[in-house]
Amino acid sequence: MSTQVHANLTAEQVAQISEELGEPEWLLETRQDALAALEDLDMPDVIKTPGREWTNLDALDYETLVDPLDHAQEKDRVDAEGVDVLSWSEALDTHGDLIEEHFGSVVDPQRNYLTALSTALFSAGTVVYVPEGVDAEDVKIRTTMNSRSLFNYTLVVAEESSSVTILERQATGDDAKPVDEGRYYSGVVEAVAGENAHVQYGALQNLSEETYNFSVKRGHAGRYGTVNWIEGNIGSRLTKTSVETRLVGDSESQIVGAFFGHNDQHFDLGSRVWHEAENTTADLVTRGVLRDSARSVYEGVQDVGRDAWNTSSYQRENTLMLSDESEADASPKLIINNHDTEASHSATVGQVDEEDLFYMTSRGIDPEVAKNLLVEGFFVPVLEEVAVDELREDLQDLIAARLRE
Amino acid sequence: MSSDQDHLKETDTEARFEFKKEEKSAFETGKGLTEETIRVISEDKDEPEWMLERRLRALKQFQQMPMPDGWPGAPDLSEVDIDQIVPYIRPDIETRGGADSWEDLPEEIQDTFDKLGIPEAEKNALSGVGAQYESEIVYQNMQEQWEEKGVIFCDMDKAVQEHEEIVKEHFMTKCVPPSDNKFAALHGAVWSGGSFVYVPEDTTVEMPVQAYFRMNSEGMGQFEHTLIIAEENSEVHYIEGCSAPKYSAFNLHSGGVEVFVGEGAHVQYSTVQNWSKNTYNLNTKRAIAEADGTMEWVSGSMGSKATMLYPATILKGPGATDNHITIAFAGEGQNIDTGAKVYHNAPDTKSTIESKSISKDGGRTNYRGLVHIADGAENSSTSVECDALMFDNDSTSDTMPYMEIQEQKVDVAHEATVGKIGDEDVFYLQSRGLDDDDAKQMIVAGFIEPITEELPIEYAVELNRLIELEMEGSLG
Repeated sequence: MSTQVHANLTAEQVAQISEELGEPEWLLETRQDALAALEDLDMPDVIKTPGREWTNLDALDYETLVDPLDHAQEKDRVDAEGVDVLSWSEALDTHGDLIEEHFGSVVDPQRNYLTALSTALFSAGTVVYVPEGVDAEDVKIRTTMNSRSLFNYTLVVAEESSSVTILERQATGDDAKPVDEGRYYSGVVEAVAGENAHVQYGALQNLSEETYNFSVKRGHAGRYGTVNWIEGNIGSRLTKTSVETRLVGDSESQIVGAFFGHNDQHFDLGSRVWHEAENTTADLVTRGVLRDSARSVYEGVQDVGRDAWNTSSYQRENTLMLSDESEADASPKLIINNHDTEASHSATVGQVDEEDLFYMTSRGIDPEVAKNLLVEGFFVPVLEEVAVDELREDLQDLIAARLRE
Repeated sequence: MSSDQDHLKETDTEARFEFKKEEKSAFETGKGLTEETIRVISEDKDEPEWMLERRLRALKQFQQMPMPDGWPGAPDLSEVDIDQIVPYIRPDIETRGGADSWEDLPEEIQDTFDKLGIPEAEKNALSGVGAQYESEIVYQNMQEQWEEKGVIFCDMDKAVQEHEEIVKEHFMTKCVPPSDNKFAALHGAVWSGGSFVYVPEDTTVEMPVQAYFRMNSEGMGQFEHTLIIAEENSEVHYIEGCSAPKYSAFNLHSGGVEVFVGEGAHVQYSTVQNWSKNTYNLNTKRAIAEADGTMEWVSGSMGSKATMLYPATILKGPGATDNHITIAFAGEGQNIDTGAKVYHNAPDTKSTIESKSISKDGGRTNYRGLVHIADGAENSSTSVECDALMFDNDSTSDTMPYMEIQEQKVDVAHEATVGKIGDEDVFYLQSRGLDDDDAKQMIVAGFIEPITEELPIEYAVELNRLIELEMEGSLG
C-alpha cells in the first residue's frame, strides 16, 4: 500500500539510528523487519459509516513529513526515588534484558503502518523501570520537539507490588525551525503492570498546530493490578490516538480524557479496554469542547471476553460544541461475550445551556465571561478524575488560556 | 439502460411468452439472476414497461455491488449464495398461496402455532395455507370503511395496475433507491407482493391497517414491497404481522418498505417478525418525514438465522419527529444485527430510539445505529437508549452506535446498558412462590414492556407468548 515514504527512508538510515543508540542486534532486526513490513501494512483503523471515513489518514503525505535523521529535541526527565527513568541508550546499557523481554509485547510493532513506521524510526525514548515493592510518585518526562519529525518510544515496567505515577508532556519548542509542510510526531507507550502493581500515566499533548500526531498508549494490567491513563489533547493539527488497557488479571483501569479543539484541528480519539479475566473493572470518561471548525471523532470500546466473569465496565463521553462549523462524531461500542457483566456507556453532544447562560447574565456577568465559566465547569467532572494535581492544573490553565484567546 | 430498452423493443410479447415456457426448466436449475428471469416475473404480473425497466436497472446495480462486508460483528453471509437465489423464485410464482396443506408445514412452524394457542382455521390462514382467500375477505371489509374517505389499501401488484401514477412517482425513487445497498438492489429486481397504503389529506384512519394474513398469502412474500403514502395531516397505523414464520425453502428474505410522511402527517409502522431459523432476513426500510410529520417504527425481531435491518428515517422538514422502538431476541444459532438510523436534515427535528435486546443459548444481538445531524439542523434533539439482557455465557451482545453531529445547537444523548438477569430479582420472585422459569419470564416481560405497550393488544400478547416459547427452549 503506502510506498511514498520509501523515497525518503532507507535501511541504512534505520541502521544509523540504531547504531547511534548503541542497540543490540535483535532490536535492529525488529526495526528492519518493521521497515520491510511497511509495504504490506494498512493505516490504523478509522471509523467508517456508509459513504464516509471519519478520519482520512491516507491523505497525509508521510514522505514530506518524515525526516528520519533530523530528530532535534529536548528532553527533561525527573525521576523519583528507587525508580530508574532512563534515556533509551542508557536503558539499553543497564536494562537490556528487561527491554528485550517487554519491547513489542504490549503494542505489536507491526500492528499497522504507523506503528511500524514508529518502530523503524524511533530515535528517542524513555524507559521507566519500577522494581518490586517500590512506590514512585512524580516521574516526569517532558519532550520538546524541535525538528520536522520525531518518533518517541516509552516503555514502563512496574514489577510486583510497585506503583508509579508518570506525567508526560509534549510540546513544540519556541526555537523549532519553521517548516512549511507540517510536522509529524509519533509516540508509542507500552506499560506492563505486574501483579498488584499500579501504573498511572498522564499525558498532556500541546504540540504546535502544524503537527500531525499519532500515538498509541497501551497497558497490560496483571492480577490485582491497575493501569490508569489520563489523556489531554490541546495541540496539533491532527491527532490520531488510542489509549488502551488489556485487563489480563483481576484488575482495573480508568481512562480519563479531555480535549479542546479550535481552528481546524481534528482529533481522532480512541479509548479501549479488553476485559479478559474475571473480576475486572473499567471506567472510561472523556469530555471535550469544540470551537471554530474543529472536529472530534471518538470511539470507545468496552470488550468483555468469554472468560471475563463478574465484569463491571462503564463509559461516558460528552462533547460540547461552541460553534456551528464544528463537528463531533462519537461511537461508544459495547462488545459483550459474558453475561455476568454490568456494563453501560453513554455519550452526549450539546451546546452551552441557554438557561444557565441567561441565569448568569441576568446576575450581571458579561456573556463572554459567563460562557467561559460554563465551559470550564463542563470540564470539572473529568478534571476531578485526574488524580495528578500538576496535570490537572496544567490542563485547567491550557483550557482557560484557550477560552480567553 | 438504453441497451435494456433496445432489448425490450426487440423482444415482442409473444416471443417472451414463448421464451417463458421454453425456459421453464432452465429456471429450476439455472444459476444466477438473469435479465430473462426478471422479464418473466414482470410479464407474469403484466407490469407496465417502466416497472420492467426499473427492475432491470436494479438488477444491473445488484450485479455490480459487493456483498456487505467488513462490518465489525456483522452476521456471516457467506452461505447466502446469490447464484442460488433465482431458482427459488420460480416455484414461488407457481405456488402462490404457500403450502398445499397444514401437514406440509415444517414441524417447527406447526408447533409454534399449536403453542400460540391459535385455532385450527386461523392457523391455516396464518401459515399461508389458503390464506389468499382469507386475506381478501379481510381487505374487503376494511376497504368498505375507508373507501369513502379515499383511502387505498391493496396489494402492491394490484397497485401497480390500478394506481400506476402514484406508484410510478414513489416506487424506489426518492426513499429506497436500489442503489442503496446490494439487497435493496436485489429487491428492486425481483420484488413481488407487499402492501400499498395511500391516505389522502386530512384523513385519519382510526384503526390499524393490518397486513397480517396478507404477508403469508403469497409465496413471493420473501421479496415483498410495502409503500405507504400519508398525505398532509393524515394519520395511519400500519401493522405487518409477520408473526407467522415463513416455512418455504427460501433462505433469503429481502423486503423493502418505503414510507412517505407528508406535512403534519403521522405514520406508525409496527411489525412483529418471526422468520424460520434458516432465513437470512436482509431488509431495507426507510421513511421520509416532511415538516411536522411524525414517523414511528415499532418492531420485534424474533426469528431468522441472521437479520440485518436498520429502519431509517430522514427528517426532511422542520419539526419532523421520529420514534424507534425495537426489540430483538436471539436464541441458539441466531445473529440479529439490527438498529436504527435517523438523519436530521432540518431544524427542530426530534428523534428517540429505544432498543431492547435479549440473547440466550449462544445467540447474538447487535445494536447498530446511526444518528446524523446535518449542518443547519438547529435545535434538533435525539436520545438513544439501548438495553441488553443476557441469559448465559454463550451469548453475545454488542452495541455499536454512531453519532455524527455537524450542528452546534443540538441535544444528543446515547445510553446503553448490558446486564445479566438479576439473581436477586429471580430469588425474590422465587421466594414468592414462582418457579425459576416463570420468574425469568416475568422479568423479561417487564424488560420488554416499553415495546409491548406500543403494540395493539393482540400483537403484544403474541410477542410475549413468542418470547415465552423461546425462553422455554421449546422451539427449534
